[in-house]
Amino acid sequence: MTKIDSQAFLPLKTQWFHIMLSLAGGEQHGYGIMQEVLQRTTGKVRLWPATLYGSIKRLIDAELIEESDERPAPELDDARRRYYRLTSLGRRVLDAECERLQELVHAIRVKQSMVTE
Amino acid sequence: MSFASRIYRRLAQAFPHEFKLVYGTEVLQLGEDVVEQTARRYGAAGLVRLIADIAIRVPLEHLSEMRRDMRYAWRSLIKSPGFALVGILSMGIGMGLTTMVYNSKWQLISRELPAAENARRLVMPEKPVSYYYIEQYRDQKSLFTGVAAFQTGIPFNVTFQGDVNVKPQRIFGQLVSADYFSVLGVPPQRGRMLSAALDKPRDAPVVVVSDRFWRNRLNSSPNAVGQTLRLNGQPATIVGVAPKDFNGALSIYPAELFVPITAPVALAPELANDVLHQRNAREFLAMMCLAPGVTMESAEAALDAVTRHLDEQDPSAPVPADKGRRVTLLLAGTMVPLPRNLKLVVTGFYLALMALIMAIACMNLANMLLARGANRRKELSIRLAVGASRFRLVRQMMTEGILLSLLGGIAGFALAYLISVLNSQFTMPTAVPTERVPTPDWHVAIFVFALAIVCGIGFSLAPALRATKGDMTPGLKQGSALQLPGYMRFGLRNLLMVAQVTGSLMLLLITGFLVLGISQVSSIQTRFDSHAMYLLSIDPVREGYTPEKAQALFEKLPQQLKTVGAVSSVVMAAQAPFSIQDEDAAIQLTAEDSPGASRVRISAIEETVGAGYFAALSEPMLAGREFVELDQRSQADGSQALPAVLNQSAARGFFGNGNAIGKRIRDDKQSYEVVGVVQDLKSGIGMSQSIVYVPLTQRNFARPPADGMTIMVRSDAGTDVLAGIRSQIASMDPNLTIFDARTLSDYLELSRSSERFALNTYGGIGVFGLVLAAIGLAGLTAYAVAQRRKEIGIRIALGARKAQVLRLVLREGTALVSIGTVLGFLGAFAMAKILSSLISVFVESFKVATNDPRLLLGAPLLLAALAMLACYLPARRAAQIDPLRALREE
Repeated sequence: MTKIDSQAFLPLKTQWFHIMLSLAGGEQHGYGIMQEVLQRTTGKVRLWPATLYGSIKRLIDAELIEESDERPAPELDDARRRYYRLTSLGRRVLDAECERLQELVHAIRVKQSMVTE
Repeated sequence: MSFASRIYRRLAQAFPHEFKLVYGTEVLQLGEDVVEQTARRYGAAGLVRLIADIAIRVPLEHLSEMRRDMRYAWRSLIKSPGFALVGILSMGIGMGLTTMVYNSKWQLISRELPAAENARRLVMPEKPVSYYYIEQYRDQKSLFTGVAAFQTGIPFNVTFQGDVNVKPQRIFGQLVSADYFSVLGVPPQRGRMLSAALDKPRDAPVVVVSDRFWRNRLNSSPNAVGQTLRLNGQPATIVGVAPKDFNGALSIYPAELFVPITAPVALAPELANDVLHQRNAREFLAMMCLAPGVTMESAEAALDAVTRHLDEQDPSAPVPADKGRRVTLLLAGTMVPLPRNLKLVVTGFYLALMALIMAIACMNLANMLLARGANRRKELSIRLAVGASRFRLVRQMMTEGILLSLLGGIAGFALAYLISVLNSQFTMPTAVPTERVPTPDWHVAIFVFALAIVCGIGFSLAPALRATKGDMTPGLKQGSALQLPGYMRFGLRNLLMVAQVTGSLMLLLITGFLVLGISQVSSIQTRFDSHAMYLLSIDPVREGYTPEKAQALFEKLPQQLKTVGAVSSVVMAAQAPFSIQDEDAAIQLTAEDSPGASRVRISAIEETVGAGYFAALSEPMLAGREFVELDQRSQADGSQALPAVLNQSAARGFFGNGNAIGKRIRDDKQSYEVVGVVQDLKSGIGMSQSIVYVPLTQRNFARPPADGMTIMVRSDAGTDVLAGIRSQIASMDPNLTIFDARTLSDYLELSRSSERFALNTYGGIGVFGLVLAAIGLAGLTAYAVAQRRKEIGIRIALGARKAQVLRLVLREGTALVSIGTVLGFLGAFAMAKILSSLISVFVESFKVATNDPRLLLGAPLLLAALAMLACYLPARRAAQIDPLRALREE
């Protein structure tokens, strides 16, 4: 396999970024991703079901995430649900995106300080 | 809330199969999980968002699947380039020809006049009427919102501002009443259009120019409005530029200048003799805009009554021979005005032609896809077995068909473009220039695209359904080698095959009829060397001559030109010999003293010719005499009968086999006495029509026809006298413009060039059908052989000889080809009958060709031979099957 350049995916689509960010902590199912994004953004970003699964499908096609065969502890496991996790490519892409955003934020800060002074 | 989840569930079902397979339950689950929460949190708006989200997602998923199908189809076409090439070529040729028919013919009768807002409501009477009648029509306010008068194909000698020394250019335009543009609903692009309020008689002359004129001749000058042109030597101010693409009503004869009928006679000699106020001068076409809610039928009936009333008031009007309608309205909002019923017929013919061509190409495509589907049965079985839905596979295969069809469409568009560019190099030597076939534009591109999609879907559906039909287990178990469905006598495949042979033979025969017919009919033989006659035209009236001066010139001219060395005779005529007259130019003539009570009325072309015309063409008189100089001096004012010469067709039409000499005939203006009969002279494109030759009179000299006066100079063979003639005319008047100077042979060559092009096109269509049929047959037989490979192997192993195998394979093909041949034969004859009863142009060529044994035997034999060859090649391969290999292949 040739190594795919993570830069080719940047900038990530908003939904993709949020889904991947939710998976950064570990595998998660669709409902969980939705809830997490909702809480993390204090209700500002809501992934509606069809959009969520449409994005998941494309993320899998792009090999950024994959279905996980590891299940959480049986008492937490919801047998009906499928779990997803980041692939190593996905992790690299997410890192690259975060870095890009940080640089952006940095640039904004610098500008702001120049304006306020 | 339960309602929302019901809709949600319904929509979730609509996701593509593959998507549902993986995410279906989860999407459903999640939806149900969140529906309550959403309702609580966001209320009804939230539920709407939830539904909207899935409603948008469903088509998006389908689209993305389709994109994947496209990619897959593209790859699989690249993997079998032979299949792809044949498919694209056959679809391309089919669509190219269809597009050409659409572009050149269909558009003429269907596309509306550009820039005319009232195009849909425009009608016009078939026959020209006098201006007086048009004024009466205008009063029918309940029928029409407006009635304009116009004459089309009027030449003007135009001199541009500033260049006095340059010879004027001959440019064609229309004479129009001031309300013309408002009736059509055409707004100005620049300046103003003509209007009844502003343009009055005896005003300073004005002119509106077309966009084409403004671009090509005035270099899109922003100051064009207000400039002065000299038209026929008279100044006229440009007051406006017509909108883009507008070339006048009846734009098959494009007009560049629009001169109001209020213009002085010196500017427009057509208006001489106070033609606007003469009740009998039927010289204007009327353009009418129907009032809202008025149908064409009721307008026609009402107009007929008005016309009848007007005719009765007028004692000098000819007594009509029949009680039929006196007014026939045509739909005038298109390039070529057509009566409603004819429009149906013509539309039908072109539709049928296009459908036939497309059907053959598409059946070929279907055939190829069918064979390909059978070869891929194993792949398909596996995909079905591992969970692909049948719908998905069908869609996949159809995508391939659509892709092929689209690529074919691109090739077809390119082909049509090429043909139209080639075609535009031919111009017919008609008196008035005709509009060229347009090069295909985006209208046509849309047509091709739609055609490709429809054909792609239509003709890949059946093969795809068939390939994925039924029990796939045998396919899985045994591969594609052994399928023994027996002879499917009425299977889809055989049906296609018969249809293809039938269609191809029909196409071949019909086009063959046309080609043979046209080429036989149109070979014109002159009785002398056509290089030894020169044709040239002059038009002194439009160069400022008074009628008297023009007549004096024409009287002097023959004598003067005869002094040029090697000139043996000089004759004048109002049109070139063998000239091309369309049937619209035919007028009704009545025999005045034919036997019996009923008057014989035939439609014939009138040609105006001078003294010694037939002698110059070396045509002997079959009876009577031809025109002499004395005839040229007679007055054509209806007071006395003029002499006329009939051609054989006309003589037979009026008087049967009886003697025509001395009999009287009349048209709507004038009565004639028949003084002679000549043999039928064909027109430049080989049509023989009834022709009544009438003599040139002073009237013609004072007001020459659109192409000026044609002077025919016969010289001794081998001498170029044109230079001598030019200098002789220049010595009489150095300012006189000579145009259209060429030898008769050049003229005839030119008139046949587009005919020859038509022949090549029809021939091309015929050959195309043949080639496609052969490809189809070969593909089909090859497919059959491939399917029975194992069976054939067993037969050979058991001792079947090659000849037996060959016969086995060929038997089916032969049966199908024979059935197709018989059907095609019948179909072609039926179509020829229908066509010649509908379109009179075809009658003659079909009559000649349907009796030609070369075609009747040759075409089916050629097709059958090619078909059998197409069957034989794969059959021979079948006979060479190595039984061991065929049996091992598992």
